[in-house]
Amino acid sequence: MSDNNIMKGGLGTGLLILSVIVLVASFGFVMYNLMSHGHASFNVSSSLPWGQPISTYLYFALASSGLGLIASLPLVFGFKEYYGLAKRAIFLAFIILVSGMAVLALELGHTFRMLWAIPFNMQIQSAMFWMGVFYAADLLFLLWKFQKMESGDWDSKATRTIGIASFLGVLLASGNLALIFGMMSMRPFWFDGLLPIYFYLTAVTSGLAALVFFTYLAYGFSRGAMPENLQRALTNGLPKLFAAALGLTILFIAARAITGLYSNNPEIHYVWTNYLFASPIYVASVVLGLLVPFALMMSASLRVNPAIQILVSILTFGGLFAERYFFVVGGQVVPLFKGTWAWDMIQYTPSITEWALTIMGSALLFTLYVLGERFFNLSATPEQPSMAESPERAGQATA
Amino acid sequence: MAKWGMVIDLDKCTGCQACTTACSMENNTLPGESWQDVLFYHEGEYPSAQMKWLPRPCMQCEKPSCVYVCPTRATYKDEEAGGIVFVDWNKCIGCKYCMIACPYGVRFYADEQPLVEPDIRDVYPGENGQMWSPPYQNPEQDWRRGIGIQPKGVVSKCTFCHHKVSKAPDGVADLDEDDPDLVEYVPACVRTCPPKARFFGDLDNPESNVNRLIGDKHGVRLLDHTGNRPQVYYLGAGAGIPAFSPRKS
Ligand code: SF4
Ligand code: SF4
Repeated sequence: MSDNNIMKGGLGTGLLILSVIVLVASFGFVMYNLMSHGHASFNVSSSLPWGQPISTYLYFALASSGLGLIASLPLVFGFKEYYGLAKRAIFLAFIILVSGMAVLALELGHTFRMLWAIPFNMQIQSAMFWMGVFYAADLLFLLWKFQKMESGDWDSKATRTIGIASFLGVLLASGNLALIFGMMSMRPFWFDGLLPIYFYLTAVTSGLAALVFFTYLAYGFSRGAMPENLQRALTNGLPKLFAAALGLTILFIAARAITGLYSNNPEIHYVWTNYLFASPIYVASVVLGLLVPFALMMSASLRVNPAIQILVSILTFGGLFAERYFFVVGGQVVPLFKGTWAWDMIQYTPSITEWALTIMGSALLFTLYVLGERFFNLSATPEQPSMAESPERAGQATA
Repeated sequence: MAKWGMVIDLDKCTGCQACTTACSMENNTLPGESWQDVLFYHEGEYPSAQMKWLPRPCMQCEKPSCVYVCPTRATYKDEEAGGIVFVDWNKCIGCKYCMIACPYGVRFYADEQPLVEPDIRDVYPGENGQMWSPPYQNPEQDWRRGIGIQPKGVVSKCTFCHHKVSKAPDGVADLDEDDPDLVEYVPACVRTCPPKARFFGDLDNPESNVNRLIGDKHGVRLLDHTGNRPQVYYLGAGAGIPAFSPRKS
């Protein structure tokens, strides 16, 4: 069965080479600009300090959390029909988080200083301190869990304990990430105690998009080429879950939008009327990136159609990327404490360097993905570990 | 130790920006990196429209949200230094979370696009780790308190001229620029203010002039609802910021 994984063949090599080229080029471009112009090569400013690099990091980190949550369905809650997806989900969660962290590292003023300054100063009042703690733990547990699966140990007591720890780690990491924004009472557009719920929902939605897309990609976008259990997961439970996650995401955005539009508070109201809904890109991202995918996934016949599944995952990718961007920027477009001195909302569009950083993160993701598909059997399940894996293992040993 | 406070009388302030200029000369800040600034607003509409202005340093909050969010303790409130909030440039990682969390918008990440061309950082390239090195700069430097010209990748802000006020004699109630013995210790913005609209003194000292002014002339703190509790008080009519509203045209 693993022979059908095209990432192990010539196409995989092609994608790998392409990803590495893009990765090296975008990294080189970003580094060159950072060295020569510093962060002046970004379009962020002191009045709008967090731009697309932060929203890209957020997007990746939450997609990772979403994948972690999806993987816990079989691994923690015993939904055995998703077993075939679990290992790929764990692997993707790991590499997406790594890619996100790489983007964040280049956004900071002093990346290496962070490595000692955060642990040694123990500022436990800061949500960003906890972000470091929880995402480091998350990364570690993902790696550990993957290593257990790799050694064929899916069900021992230790593995299950790691699974539960990892699940909690994901909940804490992404919930705390939400609170980095949600606890900022001086930024009313973000200030929301329920923001963790919103992050969980959108995390699962983007995780599903990633899982569906990369699973199809591994098998050349042909479901027939997939192992039996993957086909079953993609035709039964997963599409319904996808529809539900999309629906709940839309519901949450609608609730936030209605509250914001209703409120007289200019720091919320104008964000919705004059920034979000005034932007054709935002409107398109909601319609094409969330509403259309939801409508498609609600149809019992369409949601099992492979072409529709791929389309929906790509649309959702784009939709949620935009959602994260507008969420991060939207919290800052009304200048703080400037009142009527500010002529208008703060204008921000990402610079070429900031785009290159987003591209770099994506290229790193694709590079690690192809490597993962080539070196591991990401479709492995506990039921048939030895038989299915042995030919490939033998092949690897000689390669 | 004193608890330094500033009082700004809006009935006297003429909006001349001398404080802003003095601050940038004292602290060698870049164009746009206005640790101290005067904001100008319009309020209301014809026939009762008003023109207003408000000088704005860092409020050195009693409950500084910038300090609580900083993951490295680079931003800290130093009660020993009169409650001034400092940024330790040796610790700051440039995450900019403090800039998100400060309700008063008074923090600066100078590693950004220049406000005016030519970029003064290109004209006077930095030496000794500084972001730029002008032909003359204030010799006072203390990177652990964010005093001097900052290196790249860190956040800067008003220090209440700690390099001056820290040298004042112990127990002094007010730093008044009219007192020849104290004039050298007065923050640059206070010292320079032509109509004497700014006052600086010890909020913990019941005898201080700043306390008397706050009590007698109805001193208020801005954005009180945020709970940050500034150590900067405003006197006079119109202490407040008209809410943001996008212009029609
Ligand atoms: S005004 Fe802003 S920077 Fe100054 S102490 Fe308060 S929160 Fe911190
Ligand atoms: S930018 Fe520096 S001072 Fe501000 S929160 Fe981050 S580490 Fe602290």
